[in-house]
This record gives sequence, C-alpha cells and structure tokens, in this order.
Amino acid sequence: MDSTLKIDTIEKTSLTEEREPVIGLRNVTVVYGRYVALYDITLDVYEGEIIGICGPNGSGKTTLFKTIVGLLKPITGDLHLFGEKIVNNIPKEIKYKIGYVPQFQPFDRNFPALVKDVVEMGRYGKAGIGKALTKKDKEIVNKALKMVGIEKLSERPIGHLSGGQQQKVLIAQALATEAEILLLDEPTSALDFKMTEELMELLDYLNRRYNLTILTINHNMELLQKFSHRIICLNKAIAYDGPPKTKELDEAIRKIFFS
Amino acid sequence: MASIVDFFNALSQTYMQRALITSVVIGIIGGVIGVFVLLRGMVFLGEAIAHSAFAGAALGLLLGINPLITIILFGIFAAVGVGYVNEKKVMKDEVAIGIVFTFFMALAILFIGLMKEYSTDVTSILFGDIMTVSEENFFILIFLAGAIMIFIYMLKKELYMMTFNAEMAEIAGIPVRLLNYLFLVVVALTIDISLKAIGAILVFAMIVTPAAAAYQWTFRINKMIFLSALFGTLSAIFGLFFSFILDLPSGSTIVTIATIVFVISFVLSPKRRKAAPVPLECAYCSKTIAGEEYCLDEACLIHNVPHIHGEKGVIIYAKDVSSKNHTKKKERKHSHKVR
Repeated sequence: MDSTLKIDTIEKTSLTEEREPVIGLRNVTVVYGRYVALYDITLDVYEGEIIGICGPNGSGKTTLFKTIVGLLKPITGDLHLFGEKIVNNIPKEIKYKIGYVPQFQPFDRNFPALVKDVVEMGRYGKAGIGKALTKKDKEIVNKALKMVGIEKLSERPIGHLSGGQQQKVLIAQALATEAEILLLDEPTSALDFKMTEELMELLDYLNRRYNLTILTINHNMELLQKFSHRIICLNKAIAYDGPPKTKELDEAIRKIFFS
Repeated sequence: MASIVDFFNALSQTYMQRALITSVVIGIIGGVIGVFVLLRGMVFLGEAIAHSAFAGAALGLLLGINPLITIILFGIFAAVGVGYVNEKKVMKDEVAIGIVFTFFMALAILFIGLMKEYSTDVTSILFGDIMTVSEENFFILIFLAGAIMIFIYMLKKELYMMTFNAEMAEIAGIPVRLLNYLFLVVVALTIDISLKAIGAILVFAMIVTPAAAAYQWTFRINKMIFLSALFGTLSAIFGLFFSFILDLPSGSTIVTIATIVFVISFVLSPKRRKAAPVPLECAYCSKTIAGEEYCLDEACLIHNVPHIHGEKGVIIYAKDVSSKNHTKKKERKHSHKVR
C-alpha cells in the first residue's frame, strides 16, 4: 500500500497543467474467481500520451486493457472514459474511440481475407447487425490503411504478409473505428528487432501526427524507455508510474522482477 | 440400371421433383454453413451434432412420432451443450466431443435395440434416401432452409469477423456469445434437415467437403460462400442423377461426388501453386523482386545464385542452386513487378 501512496504524489507533481484524463481508473480491483488479477489500481491517462506498460507475466497487464475496453468488470472502483463514469456497458460513442489490438496470433496462411477485408472489420461493429458498409466506411478504411502506410498491400491475402505487416494491418483495423486511444498488447512479441523498432516508430508517428493516445505493453524496457512518455510497472498493483528514465523506475523493476 | 432418358422422364413425377429440390436446397445451405464451420475450426463440433441427430431419429422411430421432431430436439440440445463446453473451456474440445460423439451413437443403438421389430426406416436414416422425403418433411425443409439463409445473410459480416478473431469481434460490440450458440443451433438444423436425404453417417460431409473445396480457390469470403454453395449443389444434383441411373444409395453417391470435387480442387488449387514465399522488399533496391530474379548488389554474399531477400533472411530455391548455368544469369536485369 505504501508504494501506491508514493506514486500518487509523484504523479501530481509531474503534472503541472490541469487536463481532463481520457482514461481514469479509481481504486479498481479485478478478480478471476478467487484470484485477484488487479489490485487497487488508480491511474490517469491524458490525451496524446504514449504509455509503456511493463511487468512480469501474470501481473495483470492484459487484464488492465480488458478492463478499459469493458471486457472485464471490476468488482470495486470506478472506470472513467473521456470524462464519463462507466456504470454498466460502455456507451457506443465512447466504445469506438478506443482501439484494442490483442496479442498477436498467427493466421492460417490461406485464410480467405484480403488486407482490406480485415481492416473493414474495424467498421463492422459501428455499421450494426445486418447492415452493409457504406461508401463513407470504405473511405475511412482507406484512410486507416494510409495512416499506417500499408495501402499498397490492401489487395494481398492477409496470411501472405510478414509478421510485422500483419501487426500493422491489425493496428489499421483498430484505427478504422476512428479510435483516439490505441491499446496494444505486446505488439512486438512476434517480431525481430528491426521490425520491432519500425513498429515503435510507427506508433510514435501516429502519436505525433494524429495526436493518438497510445498504451502499449512490451517486455523490452530499452524500447519502452526510448519511445514512451510515461512508464507504468504493474505487479497486480501499480509498482511505478512516472517518467521513463528515473532511479525509482530501476528500483521498481528490480523489486518486481528480481525479488 | 435405368437410362438417362428414364431420369428425365422421372423428373415429371412429384417425388422426383421433390428429391431434386431437396438436393439443391441441401447443397446450398450445407455449402454456406460449411464455410463458417470450416473457418471457425468447428468441424468436429459439427460431427458431434450430426451423431446426436442419429440418436434423435432412432428415438423418434421408437416412439412412433415424426423423427424430425426428435432429431431437431436432440440436435439443438447437442449444439447448446457442445457450445457450452467450447465457451467455458471446461475441458478440451476433443475430449468432450469424443465422449458426446460415442454417447449419442450408443443411445441411437440402444433405441434401435429397444424396437420390437426391425424397421427399414433405420437403414434409411443411417444411409439416407432422397427419393422418399415426405411432403410434410419437404415443406419443413424448405421453411427451415429459408430461415437459415436469412440468418446467414443478416449476420454474415459478424460471423466473418468472429471467425477471424472472436476477441476483437467482442470488443467491436458484436454479441459473440449469443451468435456462437445461434450459429451452432443453425448448424444443428442444417444437419437435421439434411439427415433424411444424406443419412446420419454421411450428412456432415455436405457441410465440410464443399466448403473445403471452395477454400482451395479463393481469398474472398463472398466468393468462397458462392463456390461452396455451387459445389454443394452440383454434387447433390449429380449425386441424385447417378444414384438414380445406377440404383445406388443417394447419400453415399452425393458424398462421393462432393469428395471428387474436393480432390480436383485440392490438386488444381491456385493456393498450392503459389506455395512459394511471396517476394518481399529487397534490402538493396527496396523494390519487389519477382521470384525468379535476384539481386545484383556487390555487397550481397550470394549474388550469383537467384535469390530474394525476405523478412526471414535470404531465400534461395533448391532448383536454382542445382541448375548448372546459373552464373550466366548474373547480368540479367531486375524486373519489378507490381502486385
């Protein structure tokens, strides 16, 4: 409990201007049956931030994302999205402002979908059941393809792309909902170091050019420190929340990984 | 053995027209449903449902009521049960299916054993007989097939997204759980109404085989659905034709033709011909190099053998290494094909 108290003070001093957080969690606890996955999380995310999230396996990183997108309900605490308190289900207009890219799973090589089909899936939820996509939807899909720079691949089968390209397609799919926040669950886990660097640069570009708020889980600390504005270390509770290069961060990492 | 003329003469009879329409309808709905069953990797879930239908049929015969009622009840029960195990991950799918599958078979045999006298209907349910579809069953079939087609038409894109990634579909606001159960019930219904024509043992082939054949041909979902329905229909019509003129059981003839369509598709599949890795960006000229050609860069360590620079490093084809005159190719120019 001590550590969370300390973090509150760090956070408040580091934020000089008063802004409304786009994501706000207040004392959120999430459980799976009798097993606590997240304990007493208090966290604010502001518009235009890149936040790197780290922590050992089973520390609740993915659970945190699932809680934010509404797949899991906290047993205690409140979730605020875009200044609105979420009571039951996330309202539609807020839901589509959050794009979530789950952990990468390789596709069947011959899966019958072209890149543009996959990106179009990002519009399906918005279009509604039983309705076809409109011209405007297709324009947004093209825009999303351009944002991540894969418009030339749009007619290729998804299974024929490399891991890095597939990951970009999934990001484009999330962007096709016209998301303002991107949550990426280990986007680089299947990539080599060159593709990893390229993908992180893409995220950096999206953040600068379109002012997207980005939360990314990654195990590569060096990379997180290079690209993030803020780092959060999780170990069921928040062990560290602050700027990417501090002694406290090193201390927190040493504590949660090596003790 | 009947002649071809006999077949066309028979088409003027009501029972034959009914058989033809039944086979076309079964071909279409089996093909369409099959696409989603295949893409979702539910082939064996479907198989378990198919066997539950057999148990249902046997119970119907034992009780002396229209077997279609008990078949549909058993089918829906199995679909929901299997869906529950699949969703909650209580145990591995294959274990659950192994148990359910054999249990329903046991039930079916038990019901048959309880019958006072051996009924020819049992054979007809096991092996199918498309010529003896009753009028009542025929209208139920048409009605249910219509309902299934409307269901798929309305929910095509949602089902498609679920086959791609169920988690993302759920986040996109698609009611994944509900659709999952609904879909399994629809699979059960498709099997149930096809049962009489194809037979309990083979009915599942009408779902898997045309879809698997269509899968070989295309990367577009709409095209795959169309092809699958087409293959299903063709198999059903030709199966009916051959079963009539050669006097063979209808179900097995239809399934044999569907399997032949699959084998031809598999052999001729453009996907298999394209099995070579798709050329990626060349590290040196940063343009796509067509499969046969190679890099002229001095810095490249293997520049005298045709190769391409792929994501996973340099790709060299075995046939290029073994060809003796490959060094002569050195001066050939790049051609950058736009895909």
